[in-house]
Amino acid sequence: MAILLTKRSKVIVQGITGGGGSFHTKRMMEYGTNIVAGTSPGKGGQTVENVPVRNTAVECVEEFGADFSVIFLPAQFAGEAALEAIYAGIKTVVVVPEHIPIADMMKVRKAARERGAVVIGSNTAGLITPGEANAGIIPDIAFAPGRIGTVSRSGSLTYYVADMLTRAGYGETTCVGLGGDPVLGSTFDEILRLFDKDDSTKAIVMVGEIGGVYEERAVPTIEKLSKPVIFMIGGVFAPPGKRMGHAGAIVEGNLGTANTKIAALEKAGGYHARTFMDIPEILQRLSI
Amino acid sequence: MRLYEYEAKKLFGKYGIPLPIGGLAKSAKEAEKISGEIGMPVVLKSQVLTGGRGKAGGIKIEDRAEAIPGLAEELFKLKIKGFPVQTLLVEKALEIKKELYLGITINRAEYKITIIASDSGGVDIETVAAEHPEKIHRVELEIDDPFYSFQAIRLAGEIGLPSEKVRDFAKIALGLFEFFKSYDAKLAEINPLVLTGSGDLIAADARVSLDDDALFRHADLKDMGIEKRHEEGELTPRETQAREWGIPYLDLDGDIGMFPGGAGFGIMGNDFIRYFGGQPANFMDSGGGPTPERLSRMLVLLDENPQVKAIFGARFGGISRCDDFAKGVVKFLREHGLSKPMVMRMTGNMWQEGVRIFEEARKESPELFEKIEFHGIEKPIEEIAKRAVELAREAG
Repeated sequence: MAILLTKRSKVIVQGITGGGGSFHTKRMMEYGTNIVAGTSPGKGGQTVENVPVRNTAVECVEEFGADFSVIFLPAQFAGEAALEAIYAGIKTVVVVPEHIPIADMMKVRKAARERGAVVIGSNTAGLITPGEANAGIIPDIAFAPGRIGTVSRSGSLTYYVADMLTRAGYGETTCVGLGGDPVLGSTFDEILRLFDKDDSTKAIVMVGEIGGVYEERAVPTIEKLSKPVIFMIGGVFAPPGKRMGHAGAIVEGNLGTANTKIAALEKAGGYHARTFMDIPEILQRLSI
Repeated sequence: MRLYEYEAKKLFGKYGIPLPIGGLAKSAKEAEKISGEIGMPVVLKSQVLTGGRGKAGGIKIEDRAEAIPGLAEELFKLKIKGFPVQTLLVEKALEIKKELYLGITINRAEYKITIIASDSGGVDIETVAAEHPEKIHRVELEIDDPFYSFQAIRLAGEIGLPSEKVRDFAKIALGLFEFFKSYDAKLAEINPLVLTGSGDLIAADARVSLDDDALFRHADLKDMGIEKRHEEGELTPRETQAREWGIPYLDLDGDIGMFPGGAGFGIMGNDFIRYFGGQPANFMDSGGGPTPERLSRMLVLLDENPQVKAIFGARFGGISRCDDFAKGVVKFLREHGLSKPMVMRMTGNMWQEGVRIFEEARKESPELFEKIEFHGIEKPIEEIAKRAVELAREAG
């Protein structure tokens, strides 16, 4: 079992004819992802890596039963592409590109809510269900099927956490990258709830960072979860008031500092891991 | 992207928001001339991209015309949080009866647009919210919702404006909302919104932050001279160099040069170095899919920093592939050369290709690789970070 993505998911790639789209289509298929079609307006009827191309997402749904989309398009088109997928009835949409305007992502989030879809991103590496399917740009080298779910703001940290879980013999159920843009389609609390309902997931690792409020927003959910949450927060030693990398990762006053987040999550019952190596130790302590 | 007050006011003017009369001065002479035209008393306002101007002495009210050139000179010598004052906004001082607050922002946690009004303007609104939450009145809207006049009139009543003023207030609030939506603002604030002795509502200040990622939709800003700017105060020479090369970079106090992959591990990696007893010399982010050129320059920044004693490199190739990473490192070694010990780990997308590129270059010129300790996925990243701390200690 897994969340959001399995080998049966019928995946399309929006922007399949572009450089990133075609490169990662090939990679995802090699991993076993069931890519049924792709879109590229004006190029309907062509194929990329033997995958049929259509002009619109709705054709992909009607013709191939698509229920999952990965978007590889420049930022100014990505928001509308996500809306297109949601309107076509696709249930999970992964927005890979970065720097999507805030207003666009707010519209995407609203449409997803109204139409029962889940949007991951923007500025996300995507998600992977090890041994089954990979949707996005995640390098599969560190991942192995197993029993821990992971959710992270950052792509690279998703890889490092899996690296450690795999090394320690735990493996992963599904690993979700929420994305680094300031407004995200999904946040920690929604993904945590999905993991809580997934029988194969025995514990959850969440990785946050300075800036924003998405970690704090997960507190009421963590208090109610039936499964343990181990968390890491990046930026404990970040200089205040400086912008570091992710648009989201900026410390303003006392709002969203690493230490306030750590305190809030510990109070909610989470277990704090300072480095990746702490994660298997905590899992062992919890007899998982 | 934060706007200067005068830029924000120029835009507010297009939406019918009443503003004080005044003009922009680049010299004491110009300030004197504008003051002469608008008449005393005037207020001289330093134009800088940071808050706290008033506390830093960047705002002066004056009723003697002969004092203006001296005051202006004084302000032009000022640096506010590292920002030199280069422009003054010279405005007719308002006769203040009451100071109100009106602001619009994005509530990221709730995915709403929030319109906030208060009868306690002219002070930090966060302080008001913390100490007197009952003085904060708000309207929360979904992203596509309109903001209706009746909602604004209700707000006006809540902040205690008399009936004859509520329509003026609503006009300003609707104008501000229209501006906010039209220009993809993240924040649009009038603090204070002044009720004058003669009963007019006037936007005495203007604070605006736009969404950088939506600037492509607003070509007209460029025509107004409003372009993407850097919002940092004073930069170090290396930060200036990095900015020219388009590399997010910050100088820190330590001696370990940080050469990480994405922003996420860039932030976390600095924590690891501290946990293991080391001190990072910088924060850096390669950005998604960096070119070999950019990666090479990242290493130049570290190698030429005399403070750096050892370099910690990490690449977990996602959208930034290992083959490009290896090309960047090899380019740096060939064109610049490495003068400090470096320990690095590379794995992820296209790692086999990355290793091949390294091995070929090493065969060709092994001397270039003498200072590099290279690892793949076989070693956890913590071991690499610990080794970097060790190398810096040995060199120190």
